[in-house]
Amino acid sequence: MFDQLSLNILDIGMNSLAAGATALRITVIENTKRDWLVIRVRDNGCGMNKKTLRDILSKNTSTKAHRRKPIGLGLALLRQTSEMCGGVFHVHSIPRKGTGVTASMRASHVDRPPMGDLNATIFALCAANPTVDIELNCESDGEKFHFSSQEGKYHEPRRTQETQGQGAAASCAA
Amino acid sequence: MNLDELKKLKDKAQRQVALREGNKKYRVVFSMGTSGIAAGAREIMTAMLDEIDKRGVDNVEVAVTGEIGLVDAEPVIRIEDRSGEKVTYAKVNADAARKIVTEHLQKGKVVDGLAVGKVKEKEAERPK
Repeated sequence: MFDQLSLNILDIGMNSLAAGATALRITVIENTKRDWLVIRVRDNGCGMNKKTLRDILSKNTSTKAHRRKPIGLGLALLRQTSEMCGGVFHVHSIPRKGTGVTASMRASHVDRPPMGDLNATIFALCAANPTVDIELNCESDGEKFHFSSQEGKYHEPRRTQETQGQGAAASCAA
Repeated sequence: MNLDELKKLKDKAQRQVALREGNKKYRVVFSMGTSGIAAGAREIMTAMLDEIDKRGVDNVEVAVTGEIGLVDAEPVIRIEDRSGEKVTYAKVNADAARKIVTEHLQKGKVVDGLAVGKVKEKEAERPK
């Protein structure tokens, strides 16, 4: 198990890059009042057929069979974290259209790992494939943060509350 | 030629440009599969890029790969030079990553204590 949720996101994001995605959208929504945290990773990669989708969480299933040791643990690890923390895990995929992975969890659950360094995750994904458009949408209790690698610059977050912060990515990490 | 074909052509050209831009002396490949990430590959990458930036090393291209089959030796960094020679560093920590930048990427010397690929070759050469 990863000790940071941002490592899970990096892992799932790497799958998307391996699937030949040209756009990758990562969404992190945290709501402390309703006590949930949702992580969503969507890509427009090669997708999976129904059989692969059914087997994807079973032992030793990996679509990256060309590699020397396909292991196939990434999704299972995120599912474990999600379900352990009272959440729901879901993968939907359409062949040649893309894949979406959604993991929710109770934000206050004692076993919930911290978000960790989400900036480093986005940085690593951008470095892994600079041509892919990587988008990060972070929302923490109404405070929004948006990043897109395509535009190559940070947007001033549109805030609904009068909170001052150093970007919601940092506050999400808390 | 329709719009979709043109789009494909553009995508292909963009990919090639991205590859060609990487015409540097060294190519550093990070293993970022599940096991690599779990072992701390992201922190190693951050440390290494920070050191590369700090020392102004500009002959390096950075790439990322998935699992490379050395799960027990993660985090793994592979450095390839233009002649095709590959050196694999295993069980790298942040200090080692910085040392690799100053020794290997700047001076061209292989860091012996960490390089698994090189060590094995030397062992094979050793008379029994």
